[in-house]
Amino acid sequence: MTEAVSEVHQRIQKIVEGAPVVLFMKGNRDQPQCGFSAQVVQVLDRVLPQYVTVDVLADADIRSGIKEYSDWPTIPQLYVRGEFQGGCDIVREMYGNGELHQALGLEKPGAGEPSISVSDEALEMLREAQQQYGGEPLHLGIDARFRASLGFGPASGEEVAVVTSGFTILLDPDSAARADGLEIGVGSSPSGGRGLTLNNPNQPKVAQMSVAELDQLRRSGVAHHLVDVRTDEERAKAKIDGAVPFSEFEAGLAELDRDAKIVLHCHHGGRSQRAAEQLAAQGFTDVHNLAGGIDAWSREIDASVPKY
Amino acid sequence: MALHINRPAAETTERIEKAIAEAIPGCEVEARGMGGHFEIRVVAAQFSGKNTLAKHRMVLGAIAHLMEGDAAPVHAVDKIEAVAP
Repeated sequence: MTEAVSEVHQRIQKIVEGAPVVLFMKGNRDQPQCGFSAQVVQVLDRVLPQYVTVDVLADADIRSGIKEYSDWPTIPQLYVRGEFQGGCDIVREMYGNGELHQALGLEKPGAGEPSISVSDEALEMLREAQQQYGGEPLHLGIDARFRASLGFGPASGEEVAVVTSGFTILLDPDSAARADGLEIGVGSSPSGGRGLTLNNPNQPKVAQMSVAELDQLRRSGVAHHLVDVRTDEERAKAKIDGAVPFSEFEAGLAELDRDAKIVLHCHHGGRSQRAAEQLAAQGFTDVHNLAGGIDAWSREIDASVPKY
Repeated sequence: MALHINRPAAETTERIEKAIAEAIPGCEVEARGMGGHFEIRVVAAQFSGKNTLAKHRMVLGAIAHLMEGDAAPVHAVDKIEAVAP
């Protein structure tokens, strides 16, 4: 083995041992650049709120090195606790036969049928959409971050079927386990049109914290993490003393106690709400969103923080 | 003059089946496909207790010599079904 090769292997070893679940792929979790990578992301998203991805397109050494390291000719490649699991076909097969849940230390959900209610208006909307898609069945996915997805396509055979008012909804077993009590209705979308709304009672809740409560918390000396999810540009304009940028906070997330008190803030409270929901979905139990954001903090608590 | 640019698929599936039968004695093997792309189903007692990766490695290892080089008769294995009886 040449010096350069062993150097790459050492880098790879560090990566696969640095996180419980590492996926070597083309692109990243949010934008896969290849269909096989996308399929593995889809499977992992169903079962894991968080995992690490390595984009091999961004690093030619890793791209060729990982094939030798794993003795496997193709990308994507999944590692769990430093151990190679397989590529796209194998991960999909492992998902189906329960090996993936086992490798990840997760319980494979039973095929229990969730109770889902659909309003008449939503039902009509779904039936219309279904006709446009040639009558293919509706698939409802709820991933490990509780993000919902709807689509029409052929059944794979691994799904749980829920029939509401004669309309069939198919869910993969992991989604089904997160969907009991789900309500599908119709509401106004932000763009002004009418769209489907999903209300999922199983979604981990994020508590709202007022700026007065945060002020009190800071004076109390109770340990907490105040996290700023805004952009660097916004931070340059105004910041709350002691707030940690999200990127910095995220870097230490793996070691953080799941019961740690975490308060997230942004400008007005919208972006931090979404970030807080994702943390809650990852199992953090004491997550708060700062209602009104830094804007309210500046108005009500500390006028020396500039408004922008 | 005979043209052998595209090797008949039947011949390749036979070579795949023979190679796997030699590597995994006593197994039941069926290969299908054309144009360099193949699907392989193997039933073997040797798979018992092995995880999916190990089973796939056994099958792919048996036909590695058919997948080497640019003119390899097997370009890709689209699907492997490896099960214990």
